[in-house]
Amino acid sequence: MSRNKPAKRARLANEGVPGRLKYFTARAVANIRQNVFVNVVTVGTITLALLILSLFLLVFVNLEGLADNWSKRVQVTAYFDQEPSPQELGTIRAGIQSLPGTAQVVYVSKEEAVTRFRARLKGQESLLEGVSADILPASFEISLKRESRDSEAVEAYVARLKRIPGVAEMQYGEEWVRRFNTFMNFMRLVGALLGGFLLLAVVFIVSNTIKLTIYSRKEELELLGLVGATRMFIKAPFLIEGVIQGAAGSLLALVILCACYFGFLHNAGNFLSFNPADTGLSFLPAGYLAGIFFGGMLLGFLGSMTSLKRFISI
Amino acid sequence: MIQLHNVFMSYQRDATALNGVTLHIPKGDFVFLTGASGAGKSTLLRLLYGALKPTRGQVVVDGQNISRLPPGQIPYLRRGIGVVFQDFKLLPNRTVLENVAITLEVLGWGKKDIGKKVFHILRQMGLEHKINATPLRLSGGEQQRVALARALVNDPRILLADEPTGNLDEENKAQILNFFKEANIRGTTVVVATHDRRLLENGHRRVVVLDKGAIAEDGDVQK
Ligand SMILES: Nc1ncnc2c1ncn2[C@@H]1O[C@H](COP(=O)(O)OP(=O)(O)OP(=O)(O)O)[C@@H](O)[C@H]1O
Ligand SMILES: [Mg+2]
Repeated sequence: MSRNKPAKRARLANEGVPGRLKYFTARAVANIRQNVFVNVVTVGTITLALLILSLFLLVFVNLEGLADNWSKRVQVTAYFDQEPSPQELGTIRAGIQSLPGTAQVVYVSKEEAVTRFRARLKGQESLLEGVSADILPASFEISLKRESRDSEAVEAYVARLKRIPGVAEMQYGEEWVRRFNTFMNFMRLVGALLGGFLLLAVVFIVSNTIKLTIYSRKEELELLGLVGATRMFIKAPFLIEGVIQGAAGSLLALVILCACYFGFLHNAGNFLSFNPADTGLSFLPAGYLAGIFFGGMLLGFLGSMTSLKRFISI
Repeated sequence: MIQLHNVFMSYQRDATALNGVTLHIPKGDFVFLTGASGAGKSTLLRLLYGALKPTRGQVVVDGQNISRLPPGQIPYLRRGIGVVFQDFKLLPNRTVLENVAITLEVLGWGKKDIGKKVFHILRQMGLEHKINATPLRLSGGEQQRVALARALVNDPRILLADEPTGNLDEENKAQILNFFKEANIRGTTVVVATHDRRLLENGHRRVVVLDKGAIAEDGDVQK
């Protein structure tokens, strides 16, 4: 391949993907500099929108955690009259494990039951003197999958469990916890709906604000088209600008969120005696934080893209 | 270079701006397009750079049929056409240099080459001392020259100018006309829409007269 090209026109310094990207980014940065005010407004809007969304997520995640904690107490215990032989044990365990809704099955032998009982009565071991392992039954302790922890699901599960031969008696969770789980399922639905609407509102507001950015430069868009710019050439700097705005907005939102959390929210839980087991509210997990950041960039990108459609006619 | 065949153009249903125009402008020609206000001069120019598509008839520019040109191809057509718009369309928050540079940036030129070329043409136009001014700080004649520089900076095959001497004094008019002539000598096909009699009296040029969207006269003006 020859490296010499006919030097008919000036060398195109911006050809190739990296060159183009560099040019478009420079263009985007120049645009931001030239329109500081509109950009501040846009970034501010994105920040506020994402902040509201993250606070919502924070509350939601904490409620989820709380619900999860409490609902772990929903456990079904299946007792045996006789300690089963290892072979029987295997069959029954397999039977239970194949039931839909089973999360984990733990076998508690007679000896172990006694050990546990002893531990509970620490300091009063004398009470147990002479008591043999025989009085306490062996059992399976079954924890349920999350979606099977509400009242109805537990009833259904127990009904199915009864059909497994060898299981003599069952005991299952506290009634209020099951009710709470039913309530939480309802809350999850409400939360998802609310979150959905909130997200929609955020997308709408942000894309309209970005429309302002673009509207303030509609002459430029028109002119670029008239001097022979391709659609891509016109759009790219605006899309990059949108991504920059989104990134700036979401970073700012995260910083404010951190400040709020570590400033006072982290012990608000105690104050509300919200979750007595834990100490205060927990922060959003890293995955969520990354999600907010990339979500913000995506928001800026999509906001620019949808707004551009109306102004580019070629 | 430019061919119109029985072209009709209407913006609204029954108001036709062009009424069966047939016109041939060969390569290297210099044509004045004239006629009363509303005769359709700007409309005709808009057809030539692909801002409008004819309602009926054929428009062929630089070998491309405008009505059949896919939208993705229009930018490439426009790169060969310099346009001086009736309202200039200069960007108010960019400097003179940046305004002229746009034409070359679109083509993907590098910064250095753009700088050289733009400075060169602005010096020809006598604007080298205004390079960093914004258009709003310029006089009408200076703005007109910036618009012309932007249209000519990439040596287009075709130059279209719409009312380029609107509010200019005689001296400025003569200067602008001179730039057109020079571009024409370098091989650019030039079409100038104007109702400025003075401009028309200035030389032996082909003049096309439009009247209510139809060609009323097409010939050389001898003075
Ligand atoms: N964007 C538009 N929408 C609807 N009608 C238009 C539009 N532009 C022009 N027209 C109509 O088309 C006709 C021709 O207009 P055009 O602008 O081509 O005239 P012109 O010869 O350039 O006039 P002038 O000398 O005043 O610039 C006029 O009747 C005008 O009202
Ligand atoms: Mg006009």
